[in-house]
Amino acid sequence: VNGPVPAGPGPLARLALMLYPPAWRQRYGDEVRALLEEAGSGPVTVASLAVRAVPAWVNPPRHLHDRGARMRASVATVLVAWSALTGAGAVFVQLTQLQGFRVPGHPLVQWCYLIFDAALAVSVLAAAVGGVPLWLQMVRLARQQRRRRELAWLWMAVAVPAGYMAVALTALTVVHDPEASGSWWFAGFAVLGFAAAGLASAGPAVALKRLAPGGPAVAIAAAAAGLAAAAVALAGLASAIAAAGLCLWATSFAGYHHAGLAWGYLLIVVAIATTATVSGGRGVRATFAIPAR
Amino acid sequence: VANRLDRWADPPLLVLASLADEPKHGYAILRDVRETMGVRLTAGTLYAVIARLEAVGLIEPLASNDRRRPYQITAAGRAALAEQSARMRRVASLAQARLGERYGWAGA
Repeated sequence: VNGPVPAGPGPLARLALMLYPPAWRQRYGDEVRALLEEAGSGPVTVASLAVRAVPAWVNPPRHLHDRGARMRASVATVLVAWSALTGAGAVFVQLTQLQGFRVPGHPLVQWCYLIFDAALAVSVLAAAVGGVPLWLQMVRLARQQRRRRELAWLWMAVAVPAGYMAVALTALTVVHDPEASGSWWFAGFAVLGFAAAGLASAGPAVALKRLAPGGPAVAIAAAAAGLAAAAVALAGLASAIAAAGLCLWATSFAGYHHAGLAWGYLLIVVAIATTATVSGGRGVRATFAIPAR
Repeated sequence: VANRLDRWADPPLLVLASLADEPKHGYAILRDVRETMGVRLTAGTLYAVIARLEAVGLIEPLASNDRRRPYQITAAGRAALAEQSARMRRVASLAQARLGERYGWAGA
C-alpha cells in the first residue's frame, strides 16, 4: 500500500542547507533532507541549521577537509584579489604620492606611504616566489596532457599584461599632447588596467581549478599566497589610512579628487583585503594542517 | 545556575549513548534521544555532532541503499562513552551520598 508521499524540506530549510560548504552538503545533504522529511522543518529547525552552518565554514570537520582543493581555492582567490588590490594600489600611488601631496603636522600620512611601499614590495615578492613555480608546473602539466584550453588560460597571465602595456605605450606615443593625458585618459587607463588585471589573474585561477595540480608547488604557493594576502592587506590598510588622512587634512586632495571617490576606494580596498586575508589564512592553515587519518 | 546543570546533556554524549545499543540513522537518533533521555535535539545540532564524532573516529557510517544512512559507534567511541559514563556515575554517587548524609535524601 502506498502511503502519503512525504513532504520535502521547506524552502527556508533548503535555503539554510545551502549555507553549508559544498563538501559538507555533498556528504550530509541527502541525509539531512531525508531527516527533515520525517522530522519536519519548522522555524527552530531552520534556525539551528542556519546557525550551525557558521562553524561548518570556520572549522570544517577534518574528514571533509580536502587540503589540496582548499590550497588551490585559496591561491586562486588570493591571486584575483591581489591583482585587484595591486591595481588599486597603483591608482593610489598615482593620485597621492606622485602628486606630491604633503600634510604638514600630520606625519601619519608619510608613515602610511612608507608602510604601503614596503608591504606592496613584500607582497609582489611573495606572489612571484609562490606563483612562478606553480605556473611553470601547470604549463608543463597542460603541455603533457595536451590541454590547449588550459594552456591558453595560463598564458593569459603573460599575454594580457603585455597587451595592456603595448596599448598604453602606443596610446601615449600617438597622443603627444600633454594636455590630452588628463583625468579622462587616466580613468580610461585605470579601467582598462583593472580589466587586464582581472583577466590576467582569472586565467591561471581557472587553469588551477581545471588542472588541479598537486605537490610541493601548491603548498609553497598557498603559503606564499597567505603572506602576499597579509602584506597586500597591510598595504591596503596603510593606503586607506593615508587616503582618509588626506581627505581630512589636505583639503586640496579632497577638492581635486572628490572625497566620495576616496571613500569609495576605502570601501573597495577593505572588502577585497578582507576576502584575500580570510582566504589566504584558510590556505595557510590547510598547508600546515596534519592530514586526517 | 540551576538551569545550566542540564549541561550533562552534552549532545555528543547523547548521540554516543543513543548509538551504544545498535546503529541508527539521523531521525532514529533524534527520536531515541527524545524518548529515552528527554532531550530534543535539532537537525542542525544533530548533524554538527555527527560530523564531529565521525571526524574524530568515535562513530562511523554504514553502507545504505537509501538516503537515511545509519551510524554505528566505534571501539574508540565505546571507550570514550564508558569513560565519561564512569565519571558521571562517580559524580552522581558522590552527590547522592552527600545529600543522604546531610539531608537524609533517599533519592528519587
